Amino acid sequence: MWAYILRNVWQRLILLVFVSILAHSVVHLAPGEPSEVDPSNPRMKPEDIARIRAAFHLDDPLYLQYIYWLRDLASGDLKSFKDSQPVLPKIGQRLLNSLPLFLLTTLIVWGLSFPTGIHAAVHRDSPFDRSMTFLSYTLISIPGFFLSYLVILGVVDTLDVPVIGMSTFGMDEAVPVFQWMDRLWHLAIPALMSAVMGIAILSRYVRSQMLEVIGQDYVRTARAKGLPEDVVIYRHALRNALLPFVTMFGFLVPGLIGGSVIFEQIFAWPGLGRLGYEAILARDFPVILTLNFIAAVLTLIGTFVADILYLFADPRIQIE
Amino acid sequence: MALRRWFLVVPAVLLVALLQAYFWVPTYDQQSAGNPKRLLKYIEASAADAKILNPILNADTVSSGITDYVFEGLLGADQDLRLRGRLATDWAITEQAYLIVRPDKRLPDGTPVSAAELKKRILDARDRGGRSGLKGLLLAIDVLHPETRAETVVTPPAEGKPAEIRVKVRVPERLRFSLSRVDQDFFSRLEPILGSGYLDGFPYERHVDAEEPGARAHLHLVELLPLAEHNPVILFQLRRGVRFHDGTEVTARDVKFTYDAIMNPKNLSPRVSDFEPIKSIEIPDPHSVKITYKRLHSPAINAWTMGILPQHLLSEEALNAETENLSAAARAAFGMREARFNRHPIGSGPFKFVEWRDVEFIHLERNDDYWEGRPELEDYYLRIIPDPLTQEVEFRTGAVDYYGAMPHQVARYLKDDSYQSFSSLALSYSYIGYNLRKPLFADPRVRRALGMAIDVDDIIRYLLYGEGERTTGPFPKETPWYDPAVRPLPYDPAAAVRLLEEAGWRKNKEGLLEKDGTIFEFNLITNSGNPARKNIITIAQNAWKRIGIECNTQYFEWAVFLEDFVDKGAFDAVVLGWTTPPLDPDLYQIFHSSQSGPKQLNFVAYNNPEADRLIIRIRQEYDPERQRALAHRLHRIIYEDQPYNFLYTPRTTRVLDKKIVIVERDAKDQERYVKIYPTKGGTISYYFNKWRKLAFTPEF
Repeated sequence: MWAYILRNVWQRLILLVFVSILAHSVVHLAPGEPSEVDPSNPRMKPEDIARIRAAFHLDDPLYLQYIYWLRDLASGDLKSFKDSQPVLPKIGQRLLNSLPLFLLTTLIVWGLSFPTGIHAAVHRDSPFDRSMTFLSYTLISIPGFFLSYLVILGVVDTLDVPVIGMSTFGMDEAVPVFQWMDRLWHLAIPALMSAVMGIAILSRYVRSQMLEVIGQDYVRTARAKGLPEDVVIYRHALRNALLPFVTMFGFLVPGLIGGSVIFEQIFAWPGLGRLGYEAILARDFPVILTLNFIAAVLTLIGTFVADILYLFADPRIQIE
Repeated sequence: MALRRWFLVVPAVLLVALLQAYFWVPTYDQQSAGNPKRLLKYIEASAADAKILNPILNADTVSSGITDYVFEGLLGADQDLRLRGRLATDWAITEQAYLIVRPDKRLPDGTPVSAAELKKRILDARDRGGRSGLKGLLLAIDVLHPETRAETVVTPPAEGKPAEIRVKVRVPERLRFSLSRVDQDFFSRLEPILGSGYLDGFPYERHVDAEEPGARAHLHLVELLPLAEHNPVILFQLRRGVRFHDGTEVTARDVKFTYDAIMNPKNLSPRVSDFEPIKSIEIPDPHSVKITYKRLHSPAINAWTMGILPQHLLSEEALNAETENLSAAARAAFGMREARFNRHPIGSGPFKFVEWRDVEFIHLERNDDYWEGRPELEDYYLRIIPDPLTQEVEFRTGAVDYYGAMPHQVARYLKDDSYQSFSSLALSYSYIGYNLRKPLFADPRVRRALGMAIDVDDIIRYLLYGEGERTTGPFPKETPWYDPAVRPLPYDPAAAVRLLEEAGWRKNKEGLLEKDGTIFEFNLITNSGNPARKNIITIAQNAWKRIGIECNTQYFEWAVFLEDFVDKGAFDAVVLGWTTPPLDPDLYQIFHSSQSGPKQLNFVAYNNPEADRLIIRIRQEYDPERQRALAHRLHRIIYEDQPYNFLYTPRTTRVLDKKIVIVERDAKDQERYVKIYPTKGGTISYYFNKWRKLAFTPEF
């Protein structure tokens, strides 16, 4: 068992190195220069550009640049091109902003998909199932940003309350409970909007998994034993239907970084996704590469945890 | 079954917990719910961030908007666009005039010229009174002895590289006249005494030696040693007891320091040209500043509306303290532009700087020590919101109090009675300009006819949705220089055809106007990216076609448009607009004939000697009444000449929350609310220091 874990971790570390090298080459091969050294910027003199290029190591060979990046990342000295702020604290700050949004979105997605999916599967072809199917496909087909704009305009028009940003501007001297509720409200709408697509997709999965399991012999056996329908569905069927979702859980974690770029942009949420997006636009290599690295680490950790969870969730899987 | 119940309870509780938060959030009508301080904050949205918060260095509107709150100038504009004292309580404009004594000349009665003789005769003429007009004007005459001055002159870079030339100027004996007011005609008043040829043919070259031989050819000798010189003098009295936000008193030294900082070439101040006419600044005592100008230039006084910097925070020593940790090279390059001050400004204005978070907001708080009384609002925020939709959304929910709404957004607000709106004429106008170098447009009747063929009222009605007014001349309509008696060209195509006939244009078989075998055809161009101009060229083309004129239209990207056509004067006619300054009637750059070279602003090459004379007289006139009369004459002349067909001045409409009002306090500190109203120049924020937001919507 421990040997398995160690081997697994080792493999992933090697993979991580390859991922970071690949990402480094791709980012540098992409056209465009960091905005600080853009030669078309009329305010910059050629000698200033040369000076900045040297400071950023932009004229060194790629492998050297990679080593510099790795060295600075390890020592914590890595600085953003754009504002010369250390990258890690910057990412840490944005992570704190993104985390509540991510957690709440996940909670909503998983909390709502299962009841609807199960109900739709159990009452297959009922009006509920049909309307859910219709609704799911509708939501999957409508681009999230479009729906979000409609919701923002609708909320602003009918309810007259702010929805953009992490809190209402100018609330910093308000009564604390109003401040908290204001933040919760500003969290609620983007979380719901970014959850909509997730619910639509995940509830479909849950429904089809349940349908598959409900048709199995052991479910028929359970029914034949005279067990109450709820016990059949929620104990015997659901447990077996849950297995594939353990894998999905593993892939969920990196969504923290890239999952909500569009929503963070629309709702002016200063999170990680927006940081990455802005870094890409400005060719802020240190930020892009570090975010990419963190995303890779998170993916590897997520799949690792999923593998381990499988050991416990599925008794059929054994390690020799 | 427990699990089944959880599946229902958990999502339900989650959703309810999230959505109940709505009841705690301030709505537009209840902005102070749980947040009473909201009423004392004013939040403005801007698409762009500020760049540099230093009044002498910034060149963008966002930065200068902030520095206007933080800094205070000597002067400001009042509600009628006249100057009023801010840091200065009072100012007096007098003049010192200089005249070289020319022993080579003889006075009209044959007496040789000498300083004593001139002085005696001029003083006599003054005391006799009468037509000379010297009585009350001329206060004293001093005789200045000859002197030799060494100077370094930098030639303009037009002749290759700028070069420094060291010169020696031998100044002969001179008379200095102290005048009670500025009088541009002072030397003509002396002419009966001096004789008619006195002011001409002065041998400048005999008095100027350049160190390198041959370099003298590049010098402007008249500027180095004027025969007759006007030096207007402004004496400012400063308000006592006004303090910068750090508690230091504002004194005359700060005024002089601000001037020196602007003129310091290291600081690259964009305001140099406003202060260039200044010859010297003296500080007779800590609360007065005496400013002497090199020449007559009446708009120069408007430059003193600019904020005054604190010397003790930006002086050489203060800057040196900042450079301690820098390398020698960085220290040498370090100037005011690099100073920390530009991100943490300290001025003496109604608001103090608190915080600037990049691309997020700039926060100011009120200055309780402000000399005119503290503002009603406690905080001012400038939020940086690049997306116009987000700006609108935030405005409609009360998270932003003001933003520059676009016309279609304004149209929506006008229907909603939670907002108050202010409509005022913009300080700009649109025109069709004709290239007067082209023989086609040489005849003013032709230009007038072209203007009369276009229905400008229709343009205003359909293109601007009525948000504009006709204009007839180059001055802003709200200023005293604009002459309302000048009526716009009537829309009268038939009369236009008659005018063209007078000018020799006849309709040919195809119905096109023809003269000497050529048909009336030209190109009308404008820049792309401006929908109004694009539509105007189409409307004009169509209107002219109806009276038989062939007009081809085209639009170009802005840089191409300027570089290839306007700067070179290589066009027939253009549709363009000017933004006009509210405080100064100087038209030198746009209509003076000397300004029609390449890259200069009189690109239509307007040339009328009488207009030239008036333009010069206006910028040399210090008396507002006379200046107004001159401006009216100039307005009429330009209108008669129609180098431009002046089209319209747009209206801008601004929208504010109706709950924001002006708070007036009476002697017993009892509050009274007054509706916000725009001043003559169209600004609504003139009484900004008295603004406050109420918890309810007031009825007026």
